[in-house]
Amino acid sequence: MENKVKNKHVYWNPYFGGFMLGLLLIFTFYITGRGLGASGAFKSTVVTFVDDVAPTHASKNAYYEQFIINGKSPLNTWLVFETLGVLIGGFLSGALGGRLKLYIQHAPNITSKKRLFVALLGGLFFGFGAQLARGCTSGAALSGMAVLSTGGFVTMLAIFGSAYAFAYFFRKNWI
Amino acid sequence: MSKTYKYKKIIIRRRYRILAAILIILSGGLVLLPKYQKNVGIKPETFLLNLMSPERYISTDFLANSLISKDPSILLIDVRSAKEYSDFSLPNATNIPLSTILKPDNETYLDQDGYKVIFYSNDNFFADQAWLIAKRFGYNNIFVLKGGLNAWFNTILNPEMPKTSDSELEFQKYNTRKAAAMFFGIGAVNTLNSNAATPNIAPKKIILTKTKKKTTGGGC
Amino acid sequence: MGPLIPNGIIPPEWDFVIALLIGIIFGYVLEASGFSSSRKLAGVFYGYDFVVLKVFFTAAVVAVIGIYYLDYLGFIDISKLYIHPTYLWAAIVGGIVMGLGFILGGFCPGTSLCAVAIGKIDAMAYGVGILIGVFIFSEFFSFIQPLFDGSNYGAITLVDTLGISPYWFIFLFSLVAIIAFVISDLVRKKVKKIFY
Repeated sequence: MENKVKNKHVYWNPYFGGFMLGLLLIFTFYITGRGLGASGAFKSTVVTFVDDVAPTHASKNAYYEQFIINGKSPLNTWLVFETLGVLIGGFLSGALGGRLKLYIQHAPNITSKKRLFVALLGGLFFGFGAQLARGCTSGAALSGMAVLSTGGFVTMLAIFGSAYAFAYFFRKNWI
Repeated sequence: MSKTYKYKKIIIRRRYRILAAILIILSGGLVLLPKYQKNVGIKPETFLLNLMSPERYISTDFLANSLISKDPSILLIDVRSAKEYSDFSLPNATNIPLSTILKPDNETYLDQDGYKVIFYSNDNFFADQAWLIAKRFGYNNIFVLKGGLNAWFNTILNPEMPKTSDSELEFQKYNTRKAAAMFFGIGAVNTLNSNAATPNIAPKKIILTKTKKKTTGGGC
Repeated sequence: MGPLIPNGIIPPEWDFVIALLIGIIFGYVLEASGFSSSRKLAGVFYGYDFVVLKVFFTAAVVAVIGIYYLDYLGFIDISKLYIHPTYLWAAIVGGIVMGLGFILGGFCPGTSLCAVAIGKIDAMAYGVGILIGVFIFSEFFSFIQPLFDGSNYGAITLVDTLGISPYWFIFLFSLVAIIAFVISDLVRKKVKKIFY
């Protein structure tokens, strides 16, 4: 009996996707000498915002201060442009795959409201952790692993190890 | 399970096996490939090309001209010993004896973008050696004063009078050199010493900016 | 001889154009692999969908093999690449916090951007969460700084840490990846299917 129930969307074969991502990483390293990233743009956004609202406060804080260069917007960085590209690329792929839709995706067991709250909380933790570890899954783990960086492997193991460890407690949110 | 579904699955499984085999062969290839020593600095071929090219030489006339016009972009480096340096040196030259050129302190002088670094010694023999070492590390903007101080002495400070049969150009050159000698405070050869050579030129402030590290910062 | 921009072969003015281009491909690949769906991503932790593991591992293996081949052939100089620096405890604690964020939110920053691009509202909430997280981190930076700057080992690689030849490590890494793929398929067969 063939399974009648199927996932709504058909995505690339994961190995093909991984292969393309690997090629992109090689290309990125070949051209720019560094890897991919994503959380850097979030940091730039926060720095810009704080710098605009409270410039003196921003210049006193040791963390903001290192990203503020006089006469240059903190948004004017490589990663911000790359992130804009990610948005465009994601939109293109979603449009071609017929996946453009404004909705809240959640497991049947939880409400939309709860999903939004949990997502916000998750983002908060991830944003915090990504700053602490100097990069997220793409910047630290993936790009780090591509050049065999010890920090990259440690970060990757820590992320997945802790996610597996916590998975049991949050299973209701997903299945 | 329908027959076509089963058949498809077998094909996919076979494909995955082939892909896995390719992956193992590729990564195994890295292990098996013969290793060779990678050199730091520039490639031997580029090095040889640089070595054969006369572009590294700067003429005494050019140097005199730059010194007179106070060209801020040159950085003169005297590779002779400290004693020779204190006896006589070109205006605003910095002393880095050849034997100490590999000291880390001196790297800031050599590995930078701001200046044209010009080596000189009594002739161009030791300056060339310094140039070889610096070039080998891939430093840019490194030059050698052609003929060294001897040439400087013979052409700028004490130029030879052209013969009457020489062209107009030679005479022009002679006059310029004569004027340059005046500029460096020397009418006659016997006043040649470091004190006499400097008064016309204010000491230059050297601000060194190290060549930007080639690695880029910041991932995520 | 790569990398091209640090070596001055491509002028730095092109930096941002290339960044945009790389970003577009990055976003496209992530979205097309299904990384814009949090339920698909979270599947890796409950065993019903191993797309994260497969894509992530394949990408890392392909990239590391490719980079080392390019280095071997002299097209790229590994010593000039940006090596993510190792701040051991910051990486471990940061990774644990990120893991918690991952299991709660179901995204990581890059994938959340893809999901935002196709209109997932939960991903937008996640993005706002990241901004708040970064803000909190920066505001309390003086408390965190000892951890953040401590245990700095510099830009070390596993070659330094484990004292193993990079080539052997890559070989073992690929074997581990293949074994992980096989096991993940076996696990997936055992686990109750979930559709989303």
